[in-house]
Amino acid sequence: MYGEGLIKGLRVTLKHFFGPHLTQYYPEERPILPPRFHGFLAFDPENCIVCGLCQTACPNRVISLKSEKGGEDGKKRILTEYVLDFRYCMFCGLCIEACPKGCLKFTHEFEKATYHPDEISQVMFRKKVEE
Amino acid sequence: MPRTQELNLNMGPQHPSTHGVFRCVITPDGETVTRVENHIGYLHRGIEKIAESKTYPQFIPYTDRMDYLCSMVYNQGYVETIEKMLGIEVPERAEYIRVIMAELSRIASHLVMVATMAIDLAGTSNWMYCFREREKILDLFEMTCGSRMTFSYMRIGGVAEDLPEEFIPACRKFINEFPEKMNEVHELLTGNEIFQARTKGIGILPPDMAVAYGVTGPNLRASGVPYDVRKNQPYSIYDRFDFKLPVRFNGDCFDRYLLRFDEMEQSCRIIEQALDSLPEGEIKGKVPKMIKIPPGEIYHQVESSKGALGFFLVSDGSNKPYRLHVRGPSFVNMGVFPELAKGWKIQDVISILASLDPVLGEVDR
Ligand code: SF4
Ligand code: SF4
Repeated sequence: MYGEGLIKGLRVTLKHFFGPHLTQYYPEERPILPPRFHGFLAFDPENCIVCGLCQTACPNRVISLKSEKGGEDGKKRILTEYVLDFRYCMFCGLCIEACPKGCLKFTHEFEKATYHPDEISQVMFRKKVEE
Repeated sequence: MPRTQELNLNMGPQHPSTHGVFRCVITPDGETVTRVENHIGYLHRGIEKIAESKTYPQFIPYTDRMDYLCSMVYNQGYVETIEKMLGIEVPERAEYIRVIMAELSRIASHLVMVATMAIDLAGTSNWMYCFREREKILDLFEMTCGSRMTFSYMRIGGVAEDLPEEFIPACRKFINEFPEKMNEVHELLTGNEIFQARTKGIGILPPDMAVAYGVTGPNLRASGVPYDVRKNQPYSIYDRFDFKLPVRFNGDCFDRYLLRFDEMEQSCRIIEQALDSLPEGEIKGKVPKMIKIPPGEIYHQVESSKGALGFFLVSDGSNKPYRLHVRGPSFVNMGVFPELAKGWKIQDVISILASLDPVLGEVDR
């Protein structure tokens, strides 16, 4: 009979019409993110040895860091600035894999939309200048 | 004296049914299309050129951005090309994980095809149901590699991370529930008389023409040519799995649509077998820190959800490719579109385009 398929299809739609909701009511309802979620990066300056491996691993030159000579014998390199330009970040995780000290990691933060492109690059660390 | 004049009709680049930014110029004669001309390149990012300025591992995230619907296979194709050139052994477990991921990606991509074909022919609810299923696959990906779309999951010599514990039960659950959900789509769309009227016998692609134009993938198999890189030149570990090569013989839009379902069924079978025989062990082989490839060239093919995907790599011995050429299946498949659309009505052009299932990110690259 012509139209049988149509009626069958309507039945499926009706079943779902009275079924439970499947969509999430974001932002009232927060998404449950898996532990490995690739959100924005977090940087821990404590262990950083300024080797620059993260910088060379990154395909898009997101990471820029500055350092100065210092320490007890004046030969150790000390991190003075660490900036991530998230405009170009692809959240691929290559920098995290490259870091020998585990300084970088992904967070669950994903709501970082800004009004201006300049606001999105983030200074993760800057050495305080002593007065 | 009044006279008739040829009219040029622009479809795209912002037409909702051109799957992104494809544009074609149609010359209609009344309702019948007499000529179609492809215009591509609106999404051109120069990915092949970018490859020349990136080191080998750095290019992996870019392969995701070609066919964003099936990016695991693109990851796989690229890393396998390099492994083949360097002769790197990939651990068993990594190979199995790769196959599972690639097949899940294939299912996700075919789901998008079915969904977009439905919405192009005004079947909105089916679109929703297909995306609901795809969402579950994306959740599986997200728990494994953290991203929902551009995964960058495969690495030269293995994969980035091992499967999490909850992956295997979740994946099994998905595979078990999948056929029932697809029945729903069949009830909703495949049996629909309007849908059938708009796809059955429309846009027939004869096998000789398909071969002459270099069409691959489901579009070729729907024309009755049993060719699949997974079967014909098995790569990775595809020769270990028992799966059929679905073929249909009419070569019209309806067959191309149905063939996607057959393929998804076979993909489920492969995933099931891979899950059953998933070995324990390492997930990354021995790879030098700095990857340098000796001078030479190589061509490696894998089967993406759209067809045969090839990477042609020329190396000059440095840590960056000298030239990387990608044989994109969607790009080649699009070549047959003007020929195929000729002689059909304007609304048939939409269903023909949807049934070819191009991804513009890869056509334009
Ligand atoms: S996630 Fe990728 S693109 Fe972003 S900073 Fe790390 S390496 Fe660079
Ligand atoms: S790779 Fe790690 S230790 Fe080295 S500079 Fe980057 S963050 Fe610091």
